[in-house]
Amino acid sequence: MHPPGSTEIASQAITFMAALMLVLQLLMIPQRMLLATIRLFAIQSFLLAAIAAVVAYHHQASHVYVVAILTVVGKVLLLPWLLNRLVRRIEIHQEIEPLLNAPASMLLGGGLTLLGYVVARPFTSLERLGHNTLAIALTLLLTGFFLMINRRKAITQVLALLTVENGVMLAAVALTTYGMPLVVELGIFFDVLVAVMVLGILVYRIRENIASIDTSQLNQLKG
Amino acid sequence: MSEFPSTLLLLALCAYAAGMAGALVFRRAERLANGIGFGLASAGGTLGLASFVSALASGSCATAGSIQLVPSLIPFVRFSIRADPLGCFFGMTISLLAVAIGIYSIGYARGYYGRKSVGALAALFNLLLLSTTLVFLADHAWFFLMAWEIMALSAYCLVSFDHEHEESRGAGVLFFVMSHAGTAGLILGFLILHQASGTWGFDGFASLGGRLPASLRNVCFLLFLFGFGVKAGMVPLHIWLPAAHPVAPSNVSALMSGVLIKTGIYGLVRVSFDWLGAPPSWWGGAVLAIGTISALLGVLFALMEHDLKRLLAYHSIENIGIILMGLGASMMFLHWGRPALAALALIAGLYHTINHASFKALLFLGAGAVLHATHTRNMEEMGGLARRMRWTALFFLVGAVAISALPPLNGFVSEWLTYQSLLQGFGASSSLLRLMLPLSGAMLALTGALAAACFVKAFGITFLAQPRSAHARSALEAPAPMLAGQAILTAACVFLGLFPMLLLRLFDPLTLQLTGQQLSQQLVAARGMAIAAIAPQGGAVSTLGIALMLVCLLPAPLAAWLLFGRRTRMRVGPTWDCGLRGLTPHMQYTATGFSKPLRMIFKALFRPRREVQREYDFSPYFATTIRFESHVEEPFQTRIYRPLKWLVLRASRRLRALQAGSIQAYLIYIFVTLVALLLVAL
Repeated sequence: MHPPGSTEIASQAITFMAALMLVLQLLMIPQRMLLATIRLFAIQSFLLAAIAAVVAYHHQASHVYVVAILTVVGKVLLLPWLLNRLVRRIEIHQEIEPLLNAPASMLLGGGLTLLGYVVARPFTSLERLGHNTLAIALTLLLTGFFLMINRRKAITQVLALLTVENGVMLAAVALTTYGMPLVVELGIFFDVLVAVMVLGILVYRIRENIASIDTSQLNQLKG
Repeated sequence: MSEFPSTLLLLALCAYAAGMAGALVFRRAERLANGIGFGLASAGGTLGLASFVSALASGSCATAGSIQLVPSLIPFVRFSIRADPLGCFFGMTISLLAVAIGIYSIGYARGYYGRKSVGALAALFNLLLLSTTLVFLADHAWFFLMAWEIMALSAYCLVSFDHEHEESRGAGVLFFVMSHAGTAGLILGFLILHQASGTWGFDGFASLGGRLPASLRNVCFLLFLFGFGVKAGMVPLHIWLPAAHPVAPSNVSALMSGVLIKTGIYGLVRVSFDWLGAPPSWWGGAVLAIGTISALLGVLFALMEHDLKRLLAYHSIENIGIILMGLGASMMFLHWGRPALAALALIAGLYHTINHASFKALLFLGAGAVLHATHTRNMEEMGGLARRMRWTALFFLVGAVAISALPPLNGFVSEWLTYQSLLQGFGASSSLLRLMLPLSGAMLALTGALAAACFVKAFGITFLAQPRSAHARSALEAPAPMLAGQAILTAACVFLGLFPMLLLRLFDPLTLQLTGQQLSQQLVAARGMAIAAIAPQGGAVSTLGIALMLVCLLPAPLAAWLLFGRRTRMRVGPTWDCGLRGLTPHMQYTATGFSKPLRMIFKALFRPRREVQREYDFSPYFATTIRFESHVEEPFQTRIYRPLKWLVLRASRRLRALQAGSIQAYLIYIFVTLVALLLVAL
């Protein structure tokens, strides 16, 4: 079924692209500009789509192509466009104000990467193609989570949530031969889409009401 | 063996549902909502009564199959009902009350016109009827719990219906909290049963006890005892009852006191007789002891009350105690291998259940009529109502005689049966039984006497002598529907008292199901004119005979006067007023004064406090003003619940710090948990 050597090539490609995804994620941690973060996310999503395409080509699994195409359409084009528009419309500061300073965040990011690799080590035998994809997926998840905590603005938190979702998709594509059942993937995909829509509206409302989209000020609503 | 009348039953349920919908649809037109809502409630009750009575009489309920009400969309829930004998019996009780209270409410709700939404009241009332009926019939654990919760929620809404008053809101919250604590116990109990049987259907739980390990079975029993005990209002879980019953609209109090608290009894019987099977002796002992304590404390606290509805609420605790005494004795007999006696005690308990439902609902309806006329619940402001509200006074008197267990009314029959079964303990083989049962019997006798004293007070202070306030002086008789509702229940009290043999026949399928015995043949003596307890020492009594004798003796004083009294001269003069200028209502015996001797006897329990301040000009014997205050303590309130509440509130305040209200903080909680779990997994 597979031409000799093709498995090796596919595996190398996936490993390389997954590593790039991790690098992009770590770049996002100290990134201070909002639009740059959106761009980084778009590139990361494109890499995810490429990995899905390689997996689909290698296993001749047509429905994984659908995942790849949906990722390109949704996460590479549509979501960044939506977020860009949102940023322009509400005219906020381009600068992200993290809670922790950049060096400390980077240090923590490194620690979380380590944790991801350690946790994933027992499961490396499950990986079909590529190396350490599970570890990278876990790291994306953990650092994405950390990004969510470390940001003040609702939009940047949405972005962080999207990178978490990227991690989940990576694990799904890389670990299982044929990815998750298509329905599940579609479900997750639309979930994220709707979440972004809702959050977009919410951000708008929050700004209208408390004249800021700084979520650390939401505790003023507490009774 | 005839077919179970399931069409009638379904029609009854539909009538409740339609009553609820109709009352909501026409909530803008008060009169229409009132008529439709309560009219359909009453109609549903009639249909239900017909179906349950015929099912019990023909014995067809023993073989009644499961009916799916609506197809279920949730995987492990089945909305099915099965009218087995036990369910039918309780269904009969609630249907009887639905008929009477439905009619009464048509008159009672008029008092709310223009003030509150009558449509909402009628809709909630129907919802309460529907859900309580479904509690008795549900055939599936989750469906049962759903009906149970809907019942609790609709009752909560009804208790706090007069939500402008702080008191109503507080009582509602207390009921809500207690009820949910109880439900937690039930859910845990059902989980244990599910684990043992692998099913959620009630048919799978039947006689499950043998397959459970003893410790688990005991835990299960205790959980259910707690859960159902809260709803039944047994001591010490009773505190919601005297708070919630007085503040609810009176028709709701009647329904709650008549049926809602009986769901606890239903659950206990279902669990301990049907599911857990062959109880260890301490179960029966515990239930008997709780029953005895509830009965005694309930009546003692009732004696101290001068809020008419609170007094009745405390009497509900007493009567729940009496019912529990029957159940406890039955469980003990079952353990000691005396199924016939167990059946007798069970019949006594359940007979008292329907009796209490009828006379307590009657009394609450009467209290509602008094409240309607005088706008106060305080007995010290009533008096002299017997002249102005003749019919209400008569009905209340019948209810008072019935609850005081005086022959020939229904309270007497069931308490007599309870005595008979308790006194059989003398012949028991085990020393524990020989000790406990007669002791409870003695306590029951004390309770009965105190209850009679309490109702002398309740009736005397409320209806006799001179009016104590302007409201009482201008009181008017209740409108016709309210009187009709009371009349129905009065008739039920008399009927259940005079013709116990007819009702005993209905118990046959029930005792056959739960204890394997059929007693109606043995219990009915003298060609159906009298009831007799089984076994050698059993006595026999005929309420019908007593009633006939009373009727025959009625002309006796007249005859005596005709014979001997004609020659004495009759003088009419004023009552002696100690030389003061005329009698005033202030000189009358008060409710507080009436209960003083008992307050002094039981002062270790009540810890009465009194405060007297008198102001005088020249001599303390000629005081110008006197201020008198008297309190009794509710030991459960002050000793158990207040510290508990304080602890919970303090813990909640501490935990509140976690709710920082910031997204970052919540995310950190999740993140830290995730990382910690990952580290643990390493």
